[in-house]
Order: sequence, then structure tokens, then C-alpha cells
Amino acid sequence: MSLLQRRPGLLPYLLLAPGLLWLVFFFLVPLYYMGRVSLEEGTIFTGYEFAWNFETYTDALSNYDTQIVRSFLYAGAATAIAFLIGYPLAYVIAFRGGRWKTALLLLVIVPFFVTYLIRTLSWQTILADSGAVVDVLKAVGLVSDDGRVLATTGAVIAGITYNFLPFMILPLYASLERIDHRMLEAGYDLYGSRRAVFTRITLPLSMPGVVAGALLTFIPAAGDFINAELLGTPRQAMIGNVIQSRYLELTDYPTAAALSFVLMALILVMVLAWAKIAGTEALMGSEAR
Amino acid sequence: MSDRNDLDIERALDAMMAAGMNRRTLMRHAGAGALSLGVIGFLAACGGDDGGNGAAKVIAKGEVSDTLNFSNWPLYIDVEGKKRPTLDKFRREYGTRVKYTEEINDNVEFFGKVRQQYDRGDSGGRDIHVVTDWLCNRMNQLGFVQKFDKSEMPNVVKNIEDAVASPDFDPKREISVPWQSGQVFLIYRKDKVGGDLTSVNDLFDPKFKGKVTMLSEMRDTVGSVLLGNGVEPEKATKDQALEAIEKIQKASADGQIRRFTGNEYTRGLLSGDAVAALGWSGDAVQLQIDSDDVAYRHPDEGFMIFTDSVQVPVGAPHAFTAQKMVDFVYRPEIQVPITAYIQYVPPVKGIRPLLERSNPELAESDLIFPDLSKSHSLKTFSDEEEQEIEAAFQAAIGT
Repeated sequence: MSLLQRRPGLLPYLLLAPGLLWLVFFFLVPLYYMGRVSLEEGTIFTGYEFAWNFETYTDALSNYDTQIVRSFLYAGAATAIAFLIGYPLAYVIAFRGGRWKTALLLLVIVPFFVTYLIRTLSWQTILADSGAVVDVLKAVGLVSDDGRVLATTGAVIAGITYNFLPFMILPLYASLERIDHRMLEAGYDLYGSRRAVFTRITLPLSMPGVVAGALLTFIPAAGDFINAELLGTPRQAMIGNVIQSRYLELTDYPTAAALSFVLMALILVMVLAWAKIAGTEALMGSEAR
Repeated sequence: MSDRNDLDIERALDAMMAAGMNRRTLMRHAGAGALSLGVIGFLAACGGDDGGNGAAKVIAKGEVSDTLNFSNWPLYIDVEGKKRPTLDKFRREYGTRVKYTEEINDNVEFFGKVRQQYDRGDSGGRDIHVVTDWLCNRMNQLGFVQKFDKSEMPNVVKNIEDAVASPDFDPKREISVPWQSGQVFLIYRKDKVGGDLTSVNDLFDPKFKGKVTMLSEMRDTVGSVLLGNGVEPEKATKDQALEAIEKIQKASADGQIRRFTGNEYTRGLLSGDAVAALGWSGDAVQLQIDSDDVAYRHPDEGFMIFTDSVQVPVGAPHAFTAQKMVDFVYRPEIQVPITAYIQYVPPVKGIRPLLERSNPELAESDLIFPDLSKSHSLKTFSDEEEQEIEAAFQAAIGT
């Protein structure tokens, strides 16, 4: 008799093993080292030594509170805008797409076959101060005559929104697509208005998609540094830029590690807080019931 | 070459398209992107113990070896087809085959890479490395490098340019010998600024609000602003440096300065998003080819120069030959083809008359032959001061 036949209870563990090992090696171990580094003292020139140096955390928080708050504001704004753009789009594709569904979804994804960096750099060219887009915006009065689009807060938020939009649209689409149309029909049969059917049936049923999309957009957006670097100015610097500069320019590994931890912790707190508000049900998907 | 290659995304793109990503861009982008996943932990946890701080030992006399391992920056020696003529000449004369590795793309990154090896007295097989002067100083303080035996280097003694011969950290050039120097300029759009810029202070003119970029390399930007303030960067105090940084910070917060960049300021100038910038001489040639409207100029108050120097690390297997190699390139006739190819400021005297014969146009170029009496470099501050200044500068540029 094989081991599994003797002890069938082992099967789930065996199936979990690859994933668990992955998490241990690529999440827990780095996390441990990062935590260690964040408590070290020294400089790259004298070497770093472990010293339970919690001051790094307090210093990092007090020095970079502006960038931390800014990162969450930008990420929040980008997530909200992505939702406002993404929901109607996903809705139309899911409910009215018909045989074009696949093609329309492909259109959402196709721009993202091009690398992140090149797409962001293209925005630099498109939005250039003396480019056609800005000229038109000036002509219609949306931008003042001496104004600009590039190197502004708006450009950074727009860039983040653009770059993470598919992460919002795809989960929304997946949850909308699964909705049983008979439920909507039942709603109408019970004299529900279009609005009532949407707010009381469609929207609640699509909540898992909303939550997943929001998390998939918000989390990477909060740590992003490319958009602020290429589309912003020092006044738009985000926490990702600070971590990058601390790590690569100043070789101040402890502060970079501490800031990464702070970012991670804050994101975790926000996700948990949201789970509390939206209910674990929404977070885990409606099947969790 | 300092951090001119900083977050040079445009160049990264060019390189990516032309020949695949190079090592540094990979590290910068992939690496930085993955930071929050703990790459920091892995890399930094590898740090070793403190290095010694003893005085460097003089390179012993010996025999010229068959091979020599030379680590340098990319595009920093003459190339002809697949050959490097300077190295071939060295081989013909000394019988030494030089293994030349273009492995240095960034000072700090290179330091991080070799620190542990050098700390153990292991040069990793390297006989020569080339890093910017401030790092040369650090390498020496940590006891990572050997002292040159100047009695074996008659060409260096005789031909070294006065402007680079005695920096404060190495007044006799015993632990570092200059390889090449580069300059920091005002680079601007003639058509958009209406005339010429003459001073670094022009970059603070409200007329150019939001249209100015400066370099993310602290020593270049702070040094230039110090000159604009009438302070000699060689003699600057910490407070004067911090004062200059405050001026930069204010301009950055006001929106006067649009961005702090590595090489990518060239893109902004060409598109017109920036009309005036602090830039590097190495880019000026290409910019002028790209656009007739771009002009460069040395600020009237003087300009910053940065020097990358040769060092022989402790444990170098062929230190004596390395010394010969350095002395070899200080022969003017050997240096000329290097200068003609890479167009940096040569540290060797007597290049100009030779170039006048072989390449008269280049002999007139102020990219190669600036008025060195007006060149400056930032003082070497103590470790603590340096850290404070660097941190203040990073804060001024938003991070």
C-alpha cells in the first residue's frame, strides 16, 4: 500500500506543498532578511550591523510622511477613476458584448503587450508641453495658456490609472459575466426599476470583482515609482521613488527596507479595514457563504 | 562617469531595442521594482565586516605578466571594429594580453559588487578598476587599493594635467591616476530662451519657471550652484553646501525646476519640455547633432569637472603590469586616439598639438579642451558631512 492510501489525509498537504514552498522561499525568507536589514545600523562604506535599531522606522515615518500620504492619495484616486472608467466598460462587454466579447476584451489587453516603461514614456511624448494634445487643450481652454499637462499631479494620477486599468477591468468583467441573467429578469418581474435591479442585484453580485479589481489596482499603484518619475516632478515624488533613491542612490538599505515594511503594513491595514467594512464575504467572493 | 547613467530610461530603451537590456538597466528597473519584495534583504544581508583602514602598500617591483585584467566603464576606450587598438599596441610592446571588461556602469553599484571581495583582500582577478574620484577616496580609506610606485611611472609624472594632478584627497595622485574627465555645462534651447545663458543663476530666472532641469548627481548640481553663489566648490564649507541645497530645494518646491535627471534631460531639451538644463559634456555632441537649436556653454563663473581615475585593488594578480598600463596611456601619442574616439577631457598634457595634425576640428573642441583654469570640483567632505549633504540633496529633489 502506498503512503497515500494508508494516510489519505496527507493529500491536501502534498497538493499545497509547491505553493507553500514558494511562499516560504520567495516571501517569508526575503521578509525575514528585509526585517533584519531594516534594523541594522551603519553605512555601505563601514558595513551594516544588526542593532535592533528601531529609530530607522520613526525617522523614516517622520521624514517621509508627505510621500507616504501622497502615495495613498494618488493610488486611491487612480483606483477610483479606474473603477469609474472600468465598471461601465466591463458591464457593456459582459452584458452587451455578444459575439464581440472576446475581441473587446482583447482590445482592453492589447496595449499591455507593450512594456510598462515604453507606454509611460510614450505619454511623455504625447503630453509634451509643445505637443499637439496640449495645444488642443489650450485652444479649448482646458489648460491655461502658460499651463502644462506633463509634470503635474494630474499626469501622474492619469498615468497610474492608465497603467493599472486592466487589473480593474478584468476582475470586474469576470464577476459581471457570471451573473445569472434570470436573476435580473426576476428583478424586473417583481417590478424593479432598472436602477433598483442594478443597485440591488447587479452591483452586489459584482462586489467580489469590485473588491478584487480595487485591490489589484490600489496595491501596486501605492508602491509605483515609474509614473511619478517620468510624468511628475519632485513635488509628485511617491514612496516608491523614496525607496528607490534610498536603496540605489544613498545605499541606505535599512531605511529602504523600513519604508518597504511601512508600506506593506499600511496596505495590509487598509485591506483589513476594508474587509471589515465591505465584509469578508465580498473580499472572499460570494461563494464563501 | 559618475551617475550620468542614472535612471537613464531613454538610453535603456535604446539599448533594449538595439541589443537587449544591459546589466545595469536590469538591476535598476527590475531590481527597484522588486524592492518591496525583499530584494533589499537579500542583497544587503550579504554585507561583510568592516574593512581595515591602514595606509596603502606600494606596488612591488616585478616582471611584466602575460595577462592583465582591466575593468572599465562602457565607451571609455577607442574601438576599431571588434578591436581595441590601444590594448593591441600595449600587447605588441609588452607582450601582455589585456582582458578588458566593461563591467562598471555606476559607482555605487560597482562598490556594492566588489566590497566583500576587496574587504577580504581579493580583487576578484581585477588588476585595474576605474571609478569616480570620490569613490577612489573611499576605496583608499577602506584599504582596498594599492599605492602606485611613481618611480615606475615617468609618463604620468611628466604629463599629468595640472588641473587634475592634486585633488585634496590624493594630492600626489598616489592611490588614483586620472583616466578621463567630463564637464558640467549649461545646455539650453537658443530659440526658446531668447539669447544665451551665461550663469548657473540664470536657471533660477522665473522666466523659465517649470522649464529647467538639473542633474540628480549631487556633486555636479551642488557644485554648479555653489559656483553661481560665488563660492569655490573646492573650499566650500558644509554650511555653504547646505545653503546651495536650500536654494535648490526652494526652486524645486516653487516649481521652478521641473525635474532632476540623469541622461534623460536630453529628451526634455529636444521636446521643448525643458529649455535650460545642467548637462554633461558627453551628451553635448549628440544633442547638437540632433538639433540646431540646442546650445551649450560653460557658465561664466566657472564649471564643474568630474574625474574618473584608475586604481589597482589590493590582491591584484598583476599589479606591476597594471602600473605599466597606466603609464602607457600617459604617453601623448597613445592617448590621442583614445581622446579622438571618446571625446572626454584627457588628463594628459600635449594632446592638442598632436590632434591639430591628425584631427584639427577636434583640436578646437571645448568639449575636449576646455579652459581648465576655470574648472572646479567639489571638496571632499568628511563622512558625516558628506552624508548630511547627500541626504539634504535627496530631500531637495523630492526623495
